[in-house]
Amino acid sequence: MKSIKRCQHIITLFLSIFLVGMVVLVVKINREASFYMMNSDDHRLGMVYDRKGDVLFDGSGRGEYPDGYFIDVGNLIGDDKGQMENTLVANNIDYLNNYSFSVGLVDKGGKAAIYTTLDHEANRAVYDSYMDAKGCAVAYNYKTGELLVCTSLPSLDVTRGYDNLENMESGTLMSKAMYRTVPGSTQKISTLISAIEIMGRERLFSKSYNCSGSFMNAEGKKIDCHQEWGHGDQNIQEALENSCNPFFAQLIQDSDMPLERIKSQYTKLGYAINGDELKYFDIDGIQCERASTTLTDTGDFITQWGCMGQGDTLVSPIQLMMWESAIANGTGKMTMPHLISKVTDVSGKVKKSADTEFSKQLFNPSTATTVKQMMKTNGANHYAWSVPGYDIGIKSGTAQVKEGEEENALLVGFVDDPAHPIAFCVVLENKYSTPVSAEQILTTMLNNLCA
Amino acid sequence: MSNPFSYVFSCIFVLLAHGAMLFNVFSNGNYDDVNSVVVLASVVIGLDLVYFTIMPFFRQQTYAVDFMLILILNMGLIFQSCFGGVDFQLKHFITVIAALISCRIGYLVCRDHRWIEDKKKYIWICIGILMGIILLFTGSRSMWISLGESTSIQPSEFMKPLLVLACATSITEQQKKHKFLCFNIVYENIIPFGIIGAICLFQWWCRDLGSIPTFGAIYVSGFLLRICYPKGKFSKKPIIIAVASLAVLAVIAVMLAPPYVKEERLFVDIWANKYTTGHQQCQALIAIADGGWFGKGPGHGFLHTVFAYQSDIVFSSISEEWGLLCAVMSVFVLLMMVAIPLVNPPRSYYHGSMCAGIAAAFSVQMALNVFGSCNMIPFTGVTLPFISMGGSSMVVSGLMAGMLVAAQSPVFKAPKRKKNEKKPQPVQPVQMQNIPQAPPPVQPQQEIPPQPPINYTLTDRRK
Repeated sequence: MKSIKRCQHIITLFLSIFLVGMVVLVVKINREASFYMMNSDDHRLGMVYDRKGDVLFDGSGRGEYPDGYFIDVGNLIGDDKGQMENTLVANNIDYLNNYSFSVGLVDKGGKAAIYTTLDHEANRAVYDSYMDAKGCAVAYNYKTGELLVCTSLPSLDVTRGYDNLENMESGTLMSKAMYRTVPGSTQKISTLISAIEIMGRERLFSKSYNCSGSFMNAEGKKIDCHQEWGHGDQNIQEALENSCNPFFAQLIQDSDMPLERIKSQYTKLGYAINGDELKYFDIDGIQCERASTTLTDTGDFITQWGCMGQGDTLVSPIQLMMWESAIANGTGKMTMPHLISKVTDVSGKVKKSADTEFSKQLFNPSTATTVKQMMKTNGANHYAWSVPGYDIGIKSGTAQVKEGEEENALLVGFVDDPAHPIAFCVVLENKYSTPVSAEQILTTMLNNLCA
Repeated sequence: MSNPFSYVFSCIFVLLAHGAMLFNVFSNGNYDDVNSVVVLASVVIGLDLVYFTIMPFFRQQTYAVDFMLILILNMGLIFQSCFGGVDFQLKHFITVIAALISCRIGYLVCRDHRWIEDKKKYIWICIGILMGIILLFTGSRSMWISLGESTSIQPSEFMKPLLVLACATSITEQQKKHKFLCFNIVYENIIPFGIIGAICLFQWWCRDLGSIPTFGAIYVSGFLLRICYPKGKFSKKPIIIAVASLAVLAVIAVMLAPPYVKEERLFVDIWANKYTTGHQQCQALIAIADGGWFGKGPGHGFLHTVFAYQSDIVFSSISEEWGLLCAVMSVFVLLMMVAIPLVNPPRSYYHGSMCAGIAAAFSVQMALNVFGSCNMIPFTGVTLPFISMGGSSMVVSGLMAGMLVAAQSPVFKAPKRKKNEKKPQPVQPVQMQNIPQAPPPVQPQQEIPPQPPINYTLTDRRK
């Protein structure tokens, strides 16, 4: 009988393994059924709303909206047509599925929806403020991480379809805020942070370099200042406000700034250095390119320009904005942005809600406080008239692109106001081709967000 | 029949189950002509009644497996007749009949364990013959023998019950050592290893890699019974070694797998290839999701447009039209049939080891079909026993069900004596009753004369 029991044990073993498998299967199907249905030809999509309940995407296709109603968010929110892959809808389409394994597909009355943190009204105002110009603008709450404005021009009205795809301008189908661009002098913030981290505040402020309009570096190559007659002797605060290239070139070349330390700090900030593999960070499924630069020798022309936002340096506007949060918070940690506030399922039950997350330590809080004060001084001294009414820390940049044929204007910074903790980045492409200025766009943005 | 009431109640239960399913077909099914439902209902209920009438003529101690078998077979017939629209599937019905007949054959052949054990050499030969048939009659490196435009058989399927019988063993056989050169070898333990090795190589050659896990499981059940023998319990050390060896073998198998297996089966991202290599599985999963718990209704599915919807992905086809609940329940009926030896223990070690082999074969084959089609494991394209369309599978599954029946209702006969063998002494009743007796005085100097083997003429202990 004992030997027969042994046979029964083997039968039990096989059946138990199979039973466990069946349980796993049922659980798996129950959890993933929505994903399966999204891959079928037959699905019912829900809606995407902004923070005030305004529709940003209508998956049912039954709503009626004015012409161009979604144009300011077209390449960010996207649609389900498959033409744009790096959009909110494309990467979170499962959440919009008006389906559950228990009730099946719900044609009408399904409440599957994504509630975003965007302010459609402000976003539209910023979009309109560009008039005929191109570029992108992005802003978020640096305390909570809520992405408030993110618009990119040119854009498209997704309700019109893609019949005109071949004639669309380059960059129409992508939100430029997520992709790298030449940062211009906004890069000097990263260099400033690195300098403070490496040599300390006191030592940095004790240093003074002369600008005569240009500087011959160790390699024998000339670095010009935007002010032909130069800025004379300056300390770091003045150089930052003047955005003086010769000063920063001399700072990079200084023996107190060893290359390895600069590389180390840049790596902490998230740069891919010297051809490292390009990485991405994720905002609710949307892939954002991380910064990259070349740092080979502190006396090298490319390295010096790289630290001043030209050369090989590329940074996405959203990352420029995120660094501002680490400064504005005074912690040295970035507040990670998010676009989705909450998600509801087919029955309206909240199945996901956002949490505020922070990055690892990028630099010391004391450095953050120093840079914050320097940027606020710059804001007070130079932008009080162009962006009136806000206590802002700011840094501008001019980026030469297309072999120097065009110049883009950039503004990065933050509002130092507990009621409106907003970090921002504005990019205005080919700034000489339009009467609009980056400051005007920024003012519109802040007026709408802080109203 | 020991209890006619339980027999009648079991009949009523099966009829009710089929009746409920047919009512669902009638009320929710997709059909143009109600006659198609009437035909299906008549055949199903008719087959039930005929089966219930015939069964008592086979004098068995229990009919549990038989009831499970008719239940699942007719469930399968109803499912198959409803995919994509209600239409009686005559071809499947014929395979159902074939399965029932082969079940009887399996029962008759295996009910006497001594008889079948004596025929082990013939079983080994049959496996060899089957391999030869496959080599000679299938196409180049194929597993099918075509019998016409729409009919073909898969001879390798028939190796499954043969391997079960080859791996089934008795304690006596496990102890028989044979002198080979300077080694004492137990043929009973060595030969199955050779057979499984040959079968695996052969299956690899035939490109029927999907069946290898089933064969492997059958062998593993026999192997486990053998390695744990002398202690009468599962000793950890040999089991750990066996599992480790199995893992190493699996890794080697994966490494040596042909490129098409690696690219299209083992490491395929089905959703990235949903229009090519992952099409079947993607559609199968979508169908399950579409069906939900309770299904879209018989005949209302779309999966019938996908290749092998009646066989390889039949679990999904059932889920779509009848609901996941029903599909899982039908698998559970199969499971219960295999689990009957746990409730009603086999009467001999040989039958027990046979049941273990069958449980291994069925559970692995069900797992390959169900989990494979649902992308939990590589998709192998094997059939779901008794439910999938396929004659070879049906006959073989029926045969193995018959072996289960045999384990439940065995016949113990004394083996025929050879002419020169002396008549054994009859066993005294007092010896069978195990009454404690005083031990006989030990006489160490006295040589014990050789005794002829004792042959028990057992009767059913439950009577």
